[in-house]
Amino acid sequence: MGRELPQENEKLIERLRKPESCRDAFNEVMRLYSEPLYWQIRRMVENHDDAADVLQNTFMKAWQSIENFRGDAKLSTWLYKIALNESITFLGKERKRLSLSIDDEESHLVNLIEADEWVDGDELALQLRKAVASLPEKQRIVFNMKYFDEMKYEQMSEILGTSVGALKASYHLAVKKIEKYFGENE
Amino acid sequence: MEEKKSDILTSINRRDGMTVPDGFFESFAERMASELPSRPEAEVTPVASRPKTLWGSIRPYVYMAAMFAGIWCMLKMFTMMNPGDVDLSIDNNRILTEALSDENFVLDYIIDDINERELFDEMYDDSISVDDMLPIDSLPIEEGADEISGNGFSPADV
Repeated sequence: MGRELPQENEKLIERLRKPESCRDAFNEVMRLYSEPLYWQIRRMVENHDDAADVLQNTFMKAWQSIENFRGDAKLSTWLYKIALNESITFLGKERKRLSLSIDDEESHLVNLIEADEWVDGDELALQLRKAVASLPEKQRIVFNMKYFDEMKYEQMSEILGTSVGALKASYHLAVKKIEKYFGENE
Repeated sequence: MEEKKSDILTSINRRDGMTVPDGFFESFAERMASELPSRPEAEVTPVASRPKTLWGSIRPYVYMAAMFAGIWCMLKMFTMMNPGDVDLSIDNNRILTEALSDENFVLDYIIDDINERELFDEMYDDSISVDDMLPIDSLPIEEGADEISGNGFSPADV
């Protein structure tokens, strides 16, 4: 168990598909995927409490639509997609609640990062979080998936519904902007 | 192009500096497991089969017997309603037999209803010649004259 997505477990998926064992299997899924999904969500919403709420919503959604998974999709891809959608929905609601424009969101996220009490004091890492927060939402998602989660472009393409070429271009642009951010804030 | 990582990203080495309260993930998974709502449509607990009662065992046979009894009753009712059982033959009807043996009744109520053309057709079919018939004069004047002359028709016309 860790920040990386666990390997696909065929037996677990098989149990998840069976009505008589799906609850136990889903408890196992939550135990295995809580951490990697949490970090993915946390990097999007930039606050521990909000990330915990979004993670809870993610698992609730997954549980409510467990029949939808009974196809051929990879479990990690399916969960990642739900977590991402929940994160984007949460950010949209926050923008609406605080009457923020998309441009204001960057400063709102930076404020959240600065106020975050659950940090290890790594100044460089904090600067990177602020640099990532300055990216447009799509580039931020692509950068987080590629850089922090080390996800393959093919899986990212499956989750985001975007071509591999477009994702590569998006990641390249994100890296350039982050370099520029560090250049300006040295 | 992404493989050529920038120096700054290489030096940060995927650290995001974020932490969580101790035991957060363990307690989260436990709490979620207890909070998951039940989903009867997704989770099916196999129900132990109930012991079969005597009524449960014989019920299909009782229903089948009741069905056959119903069909038998219906057939019986239709048979009772069928007029084929009632003897309507003339021989068994005393009133009708007496009436038919009365010549006046036949002349008044039966012969009277026969159309002359049908009568002649019948006679022709039965190979009865008009010549074989009694001459018209031999008929009672008031009966035969009224009948035939009423239609402007005489045996000579045939």
